[in-house]
Amino acid sequence: MPTIIETKGLTKRYGPLTAVNDLSLAVEQGAIYGFVGPNGAGKTTTMRMLTTLLQPTSGEAWVAGHSVTRDQRGVRRALGYMPDFFGVYDDMTVWEYLDFFGACYEIPAATRANLIKDLLELVDLTHRRDDQVDTLSRGMKQRLCLARTLAHDPQVLILDEPASGLDPRARIEIRELLVELSRMGKTIFFSTHILADVAEICTQVGIFEAGRLVAQGGLVEMQRRLLPHRRLQITLLDKLEGAQAALLGREGVLEMKVIPPAQNGEPTTTQLLEVNFSGDDTSVSALLSHLVIQGYPVLRFTEAVHDLEDVFMHATKGIVS
Amino acid sequence: MNKATSVTLSERLTANPVILKELRGRMRGWRAFIVLTLYLLVMSSFVTLLYVAFAASTNTAYNGGSGQQIGKFVFAGTVGIELLLACFIAPAFTSGAISGERERQTFDLLRTTLLPAWSLVLGKLGSALLYTFLLFLAALPLQSLAFLLGGVEPMELAIASVLLVATAYLFGSAGVFFSSLMRRTLGATVLTYAFAIMATLGLPIAMLVMLPLTALFSYNSPGVLFQTVMIYGFGFLIMINPAATAIATEVILMEEQTYFFFTQSVYNPQTGNSIILPLVSPWLPYVGFALVFGTGLVLLSILAVRRTER
Repeated sequence: MPTIIETKGLTKRYGPLTAVNDLSLAVEQGAIYGFVGPNGAGKTTTMRMLTTLLQPTSGEAWVAGHSVTRDQRGVRRALGYMPDFFGVYDDMTVWEYLDFFGACYEIPAATRANLIKDLLELVDLTHRRDDQVDTLSRGMKQRLCLARTLAHDPQVLILDEPASGLDPRARIEIRELLVELSRMGKTIFFSTHILADVAEICTQVGIFEAGRLVAQGGLVEMQRRLLPHRRLQITLLDKLEGAQAALLGREGVLEMKVIPPAQNGEPTTTQLLEVNFSGDDTSVSALLSHLVIQGYPVLRFTEAVHDLEDVFMHATKGIVS
Repeated sequence: MNKATSVTLSERLTANPVILKELRGRMRGWRAFIVLTLYLLVMSSFVTLLYVAFAASTNTAYNGGSGQQIGKFVFAGTVGIELLLACFIAPAFTSGAISGERERQTFDLLRTTLLPAWSLVLGKLGSALLYTFLLFLAALPLQSLAFLLGGVEPMELAIASVLLVATAYLFGSAGVFFSSLMRRTLGATVLTYAFAIMATLGLPIAMLVMLPLTALFSYNSPGVLFQTVMIYGFGFLIMINPAATAIATEVILMEEQTYFFFTQSVYNPQTGNSIILPLVSPWLPYVGFALVFGTGLVLLSILAVRRTER
């Protein structure tokens, strides 16, 4: 996949404070890239540089091949930007709002009427076409703003916290909309600190902390790299202590934990043992054989999937620049 | 092959998205209608008051020229009010132009669109001026009452209109300029009004300072150079002030019978001869000054809007 957003050594300093430090990232065309990090990590600063609103102190960035410092018009043509605030005019109706931004993107008046119809249909706001923008709910405003960023059919969408401050239903609607847009061939680069959103829809993740990118890659690949140990869950019918003793000291076993029945959701007659294990598939298999051969009644043997929160906690140190 | 297309004025105006949006907002609903009605009510009460006051203070039965005098008086009164509008209302329309977008957090959105900086600045200024011109246009019938009464020539009305348009442009541009510099509309408004007050009241203050100097004329017999400098200096002070320009233009019209050029002779005490100074009615240099200075402010505003944040 070709790269559509690229930064090389992108740096932004405000006096002694470094908001973005030597950031080099690459977003593949068609990706849904989740830009994750704590508040104050420099996510918005990065996005403002990518959208030509802020001059980098040093380094360079390209959107769809256009340099953000030398070809701002090319960048603006290629991307749609939604900041972390609505930016709506009071005293303006929904269609006028879209008509205005359509005109700002140099779309001829004759084609704007049809465009507005399509955009409103896409974000499901057709029934509010003639209402004042400031009477819309937060979720509707957010969808309207998303429609605005699509007016000129950009290749790339840069969205700053698109789901923040929305109720669960509105959040899911925005999330589905992003998937839909991705299906339409748009590359989506969005920042968030809601990890569930990232895990749900992202194809690429970048974890950002204190102005630095601490990890980047596909979700699965990143889990493997950042959390190399595996979490095995072994359900036994009986003889828990014996099994523990049998596993103790075996190569690859790092840590063992008995999960009490109240927490594991299993019937009280079974026992659950969680093992932190480092090793490849062969050694996992060997471990199971070892237990079975020794006569322990293994009912289930599964590997727990790490969620993104584990990855995030592992990658970041809780520093805020 | 080029298709011959005629572009109407409204198409030209609405080609700028900012003008289209601003005019839609400004003319929406009853607000524009009510503002215009109130404005015309105030203006016509003012004209009636002028008429009644003037008629009461002169005995029309014995004064044949009083109709013309009333005409001049009413005309001067309406132009004076409109000049105030141009100096203080036009900048009120523009001082929130750019800072208002910043406050509404729409400035960043506009900057990421393809809308050029000049389009934003000119759109904001243009829509504010169009509304100001609408106010002038609405008051034109009141001004024209002067024609019924006599004493005012069409050329005076034309010069007054040019003066008003140039003044609205100058002060409107000042509003846009301060709005593009400031983050908040409040700050922009304060600076704009400080500018407007300096530009309108600066002359009287300068006059007060200059007054002791003019005493030299009566006691000594000043040299030619000094007199020349004083005359042109005063002329300069007049041509940078809209009210002084309007008054001086009318005075020159009455005394010199000209709308454009005239001369003044200066006595040389050394030789006993006089030299002739060519002079121009101040409205001409004032309009030139307003256009150049206003355009300078517009260009600076465009630079301020275009600048990428560092």
